[in-house]
Amino acid sequence: MAGHCETFDHTADMGLSAWGDSPAELLAALAGGLTDVICDRSRVRPAAVRTLRVEAQDIEALAVDFLSRLLYIFAVDHFLPAEARVTVQNRGENEIALTAELAGETYDPSRHEIRTEVKAVTYHQLKVAPEGGRWVGRVILDL
Amino acid sequence: MPKGSNVTLEQLDENRWRIPRDSRPDMRVDGLVYSSLAMIGDVIGGGALEQVANVATLPGIVRASLAMPDIHWGYGFCIGGVAATDISAGGVVSPGGVGYDINCGVRLLRTDLSRADVGKRLKELAAWIFRDVPCGVGVGGPYKFDAKAVRHIMSEGCAWLVRQGLSSPDDADVTESGGCLPGADPDMVSDQAVRRGNDQCGTLGGGNHFVEVQYVERVYDAEAAAAFGLAEGMATVMIHSGSRGLGYQVCADYLKQLRNCPSKYGIELPDRQLVCAPFESPEAQRYLAAMRSAANFAWANRQLLAEQVRKSLSRFFGQSSEALGIRQVYDVAHNIAKVETHVIDGKPMRLCVHRKGATRAFAAGHEELPQRYSSTGQPVLIPGDMGTASWVLVGTDRAMDESFGSCCHGAGRVMSRTQAIAAARGRHIDKELAERGIIAKARGRNGLAEEQPDAYKDVDAVVEIAEAAGLARKVARLRPMGVVKG
Repeated sequence: MAGHCETFDHTADMGLSAWGDSPAELLAALAGGLTDVICDRSRVRPAAVRTLRVEAQDIEALAVDFLSRLLYIFAVDHFLPAEARVTVQNRGENEIALTAELAGETYDPSRHEIRTEVKAVTYHQLKVAPEGGRWVGRVILDL
Repeated sequence: MPKGSNVTLEQLDENRWRIPRDSRPDMRVDGLVYSSLAMIGDVIGGGALEQVANVATLPGIVRASLAMPDIHWGYGFCIGGVAATDISAGGVVSPGGVGYDINCGVRLLRTDLSRADVGKRLKELAAWIFRDVPCGVGVGGPYKFDAKAVRHIMSEGCAWLVRQGLSSPDDADVTESGGCLPGADPDMVSDQAVRRGNDQCGTLGGGNHFVEVQYVERVYDAEAAAAFGLAEGMATVMIHSGSRGLGYQVCADYLKQLRNCPSKYGIELPDRQLVCAPFESPEAQRYLAAMRSAANFAWANRQLLAEQVRKSLSRFFGQSSEALGIRQVYDVAHNIAKVETHVIDGKPMRLCVHRKGATRAFAAGHEELPQRYSSTGQPVLIPGDMGTASWVLVGTDRAMDESFGSCCHGAGRVMSRTQAIAAARGRHIDKELAERGIIAKARGRNGLAEEQPDAYKDVDAVVEIAEAAGLARKVARLRPMGVVKG
């Protein structure tokens, strides 16, 4: 079963709350959720594929770094992912990595109406952890 | 004694509330919140008090962890947060105490145009500015700078633009820190951050950033208003923007680089977003050099935005910018960390002052003020919501004694963006504003809904607290006429 992501309220900003059967599924759900905050993801076509690799010291930092990279490629290359396929590699203590295959397309103002500008992905009240037999994540975005 | 999310709160007087140091074992100083009985309820409910207490745990923090009257829940620091650390006693620098939009700030231009001059052609003028000033997400500006030029901007700020003939020369004097912080080092800024800044210098961005045509509705302090070049009935232009993607990337990069600093330097933190390093450490010095570079980029950004506004008005009215009397009143930073000297317990101390959604408000006579404002004090620019008002205040001695010369930075949100969008459903915010004589234009679908006046605290009430607490004095109230947003 695929993961799921929704937004939650924060006075000045907005949060993503997601779950998945595995860390990889959770991270993929967060990626989709991020695109949905920026614009209507259902209008983003999986026309091109890009691969990303991200390394961090723990799963929470990995989530922030991954989503931050997505913001970066949107800002610089104007690439919006519609879907992400993520694999996670645990490489011992203090080392975790992911590879993400992103299917999406270049931002097209005529089809992708921007909902809001996401400035950054914060560490505030960040949580990525197993809970009740699945993985849950909570990230607050700076808008 | 009300409780707000695990912290104790005591009312000190009508506008001051204290979170006592002993209300949590990890607090090093008190929390001090500027608010009124009418507004404190929202603050308690909003979760920001715990953030004030969290900041009070930072090593080297002096006096108190402060929150200005526009306090609301942020990430790490609250918005409206001010914290100063003693740099000679292990005081820390926290990138989260500056935020992602490094040197987000406000610039105010005055003109010789009257409210009537603008009012009779307002709709047309708003459309004109909306066309001329690049705004919104994914919208680059007319200025493209290669990596070398971006490095110059980061080192020299506005001065480089003037040398290149890209901007008029008279603005630096009335810009906080002269539009350039010393100690910037572009080598400390990542290539990714530079790439995000290439085509964004001179662009407004999205969110709460705006260009607003206003008029001076009322002058409260005739002497200060005259010194600032303001008079009742005068049209003004306010610009609110920051360091764009370059600044966001610098903050993100250094939050990552400083991740291990708390364990390396033996600092225990209640929130990962507060990651910090001792001021003298190499990690903190690298961050500061990069943060200053981004701050200089932000000043250049507002300079180019102002330049485009000047050109737009000049073409629209068919007169030169000089003939229209367009001059900068001031430019303030409200997300920044600066090394300043303040008197603590009778002794001058070098402090690293973090202002996160707070405006510097130096009093008359401060050596950092330009000569023309040295006898009045620094103009403090408070952007309000787009339906109500913005304010010009002036710094006071009391702010120097109590808040490290700081004041609020805006109205402060009360509604989340989702709540605001829901509240706007079925309504036409632009039409509602038009009924109040305000023309608003936005690029993004949710821009006007998210930023509707009801989403913010009453800016007048916030300013009342600031004045009653002695943090600043009212100079002029500005009414919006035409608003352009990303």
